[in-house]
Amino acid sequence: MLTLLARRVVRLVVVLAGVSLVTFAILHVSGDPVSLMMPEAPEADRAALRQAMGFNDPLALQFGRFVRNIARGDFGQSFFHREPALPLVLHRMPTTLLLAVLAMGLSLGVAVPVGILSAVRRNSLFDHGATFAVFLGTSMPVFWTGIMLILLLAVQLRVLPVSGWESWAALVLPTLTLATFSTPLLLRIVRSSMLDVINLDYVRTARAKGVSEWFVICRHALINAALPLVTVAGLQFGLLLGGAVITETVFAVPGVGRLIVGAIRQLDFPIVQAGVFLLALIVVLVNFAVDMLYIYLNPQIRVR
Amino acid sequence: MKRWALLATVLSLVALATVPTPARAQAKDTLTVALVSHAPTLDPHMHFERVGILVNINMFDSLIHRNTKLEFEPSLATSWKPLSDTQWEFKLRKGVRFHNGETMSGEDVKYSFDRVLDQTKKSPQYGNIRAIKDVRVVNPETVHIFTDKPFPLLLERLVFFPIVPKKHVETVGDQAFGTTSPVGTGPWKFVEWKRDQFIRLEAFDQHWRGRPAFKHLVIRAIPEIATQVAEIKTGGVDIIRNVSADLVPELKTHPQAYISSTPILRVHYVELDMRSAPFDKKAVRQAANYAIDKQTIIQKLMAGLGRQAATTVQPMAFGFDPEVKPYAYDPKKAKELLAQAGYPNGVDITLHSAFIEFRPVFEALSQMLTEVGIRTNPRMWDPGPAWNKFLQTEGKATNGYYGSWGNYSVFDADAVLHPLYHTEPGGWIGKWYTRIEGLDRLIDEARSTVDQPRRKRTYSQIQQMIREEAPAIFLWTQFDTLAISKKVQYAARGDEWLWLFDAKPAAR
Repeated sequence: MLTLLARRVVRLVVVLAGVSLVTFAILHVSGDPVSLMMPEAPEADRAALRQAMGFNDPLALQFGRFVRNIARGDFGQSFFHREPALPLVLHRMPTTLLLAVLAMGLSLGVAVPVGILSAVRRNSLFDHGATFAVFLGTSMPVFWTGIMLILLLAVQLRVLPVSGWESWAALVLPTLTLATFSTPLLLRIVRSSMLDVINLDYVRTARAKGVSEWFVICRHALINAALPLVTVAGLQFGLLLGGAVITETVFAVPGVGRLIVGAIRQLDFPIVQAGVFLLALIVVLVNFAVDMLYIYLNPQIRVR
Repeated sequence: MKRWALLATVLSLVALATVPTPARAQAKDTLTVALVSHAPTLDPHMHFERVGILVNINMFDSLIHRNTKLEFEPSLATSWKPLSDTQWEFKLRKGVRFHNGETMSGEDVKYSFDRVLDQTKKSPQYGNIRAIKDVRVVNPETVHIFTDKPFPLLLERLVFFPIVPKKHVETVGDQAFGTTSPVGTGPWKFVEWKRDQFIRLEAFDQHWRGRPAFKHLVIRAIPEIATQVAEIKTGGVDIIRNVSADLVPELKTHPQAYISSTPILRVHYVELDMRSAPFDKKAVRQAANYAIDKQTIIQKLMAGLGRQAATTVQPMAFGFDPEVKPYAYDPKKAKELLAQAGYPNGVDITLHSAFIEFRPVFEALSQMLTEVGIRTNPRMWDPGPAWNKFLQTEGKATNGYYGSWGNYSVFDADAVLHPLYHTEPGGWIGKWYTRIEGLDRLIDEARSTVDQPRRKRTYSQIQQMIREEAPAIFLWTQFDTLAISKKVQYAARGDEWLWLFDAKPAAR
């Protein structure tokens, strides 16, 4: 058990190291941040700033400095905001996390019942209709879905606010937009996992014993879907955090995604690095939690 | 089951800690404006973002203001005069109060200039006023400003140079001044700033001009233009800016909004690379200018919101010479000139642009060039670091690129001629692409004196020279377009300012 834990932790560290290296490399290759910070300044001023910020040092040295600093929790000063980068990111993280968690909750809340019904009434109109509707949601780009929902629910019908993060009502549209993205896969997983077992011997035995159909479904069949569902949900959470970037921009939500997008455009290295690093940390932790949940759900895994 | 209940409780608590920041005063006395973002600080000296300037002008006053006709008007300075080529005197307004009750005096003026000129503070606006050598307080109501050389742009630069309260800033520190307690003399005072969400301001009762018509001002940060338009349509926001031409028709006819548009200092051009063929030949450059039907593009692709320009010097800038006429649309002449230059069968070129909103325009003009024989391959870029590197650092944007220039809101020909065409390092285009004999000398001449009539003559010379040499395909000046709720009365300004003191609730 402990070796299992240890292995997982090592994996966590390796992933994080990889993420920071890649982020560092890409950002430094794509351009000169100083000309973005002072686009209309004479070259002499820019050269001075470049020297002061250490951009003239060899890349390996810059990266080494970077790693030493993040070990201390110092992601440097944001070029644009002139404040430490980490607190700026942390301040906005709960908002993005809330959005992602709500979207995941909504996804699961739709995927599980609709998946069950689709499996039980396989190939019925309901099944086909649900699949169609849900795949429509995932095929449309998040950006477009968001704007369409604004036009329909906020502008035409006036039941919800257009954008912002200032009331519970304002949460609805962004959550809905993000959820349309992750629901289909989860729904298919519930459906197919259930179909796998719904006619198997042990389920038929339960039915023969006189157990009610719904109880059979929920207790015996659904549990089969639990493992794959939890796995995919964990992975989807990472995608949701990414999708939140676009959703936050469309709905003017004050989250990390929007901050990172702005920082990328301005080549504000510290913010991009802090933001990407933290998001990667969260994704890895979530999947770590999923691994642990696995062990609880399926005791056989503990043995290996 | 208990585990789920615990999880649910934890999640709810986290949720409660993050969400509700409710209630802005969505009442008749509140004016709500949308910008695409906020500046990183409210300290007017420590950023150079347009969105920041738009907020700062409502909270802080400068020495000079511009009225709706864009003429200079007394603001914190009631009168000014040059005492010599390098010394100016400003008389200050009496009895002006800061938002915290303190009185404004010459000490605050000197302090404001000193903190930007102080290189240790790293103000991004240092470059704008580096010509100022010293500010001396003669008495509490008089200051003298000394420049190191004759600086004809001084008054222009003072239109946006906010004056901040010395005692207050020294007490709370620069950091707090820019985040939690910005204090100025402007018509609106600070209430609250929720990062990435909104800045809330309130009318300042003791403002020297009087109180603005609205009691509350909320400036929201909404990055996506489609969302801004949706907000205007539902009344969530009263004013949005930078409305593109394709959105104008639907907003013009919307029952709850109207459009206000006016020409601004921004000029569009296609800068040509004179270092290599074919644009090393003047005839080809002129041909390119004759090939473009600017009027049609303006009418059809820009909803009429543009005005043909003769050169890159804008009509509203000092030094503009109306005698210099724009190139007419004459494709026949273009073909003749091309043949004269040695390209009877045409020539192939590539043009670049990172101006996404004007992509249809860019493609249209490439088509027009192709029709006269200058077969153009239009290349669109994503604005960002790669483009900047390509264009500026490496000078590789051959054979030309579509650009625009805003003059830094300085209504003077120098603010376009020097940065664009001067060959000294740091010039944008002059550094690589433009090579006109004698232009450097003339530009230097015009900016080294404060004798306005003499400068005007030199600028006429320059404009004639530029028009003749055609280092660019001269296009048009842009308009600034606002969409405004019918509940509010406000008009777009030629300096792109949102001077919300002038905004009033519409008469019912």
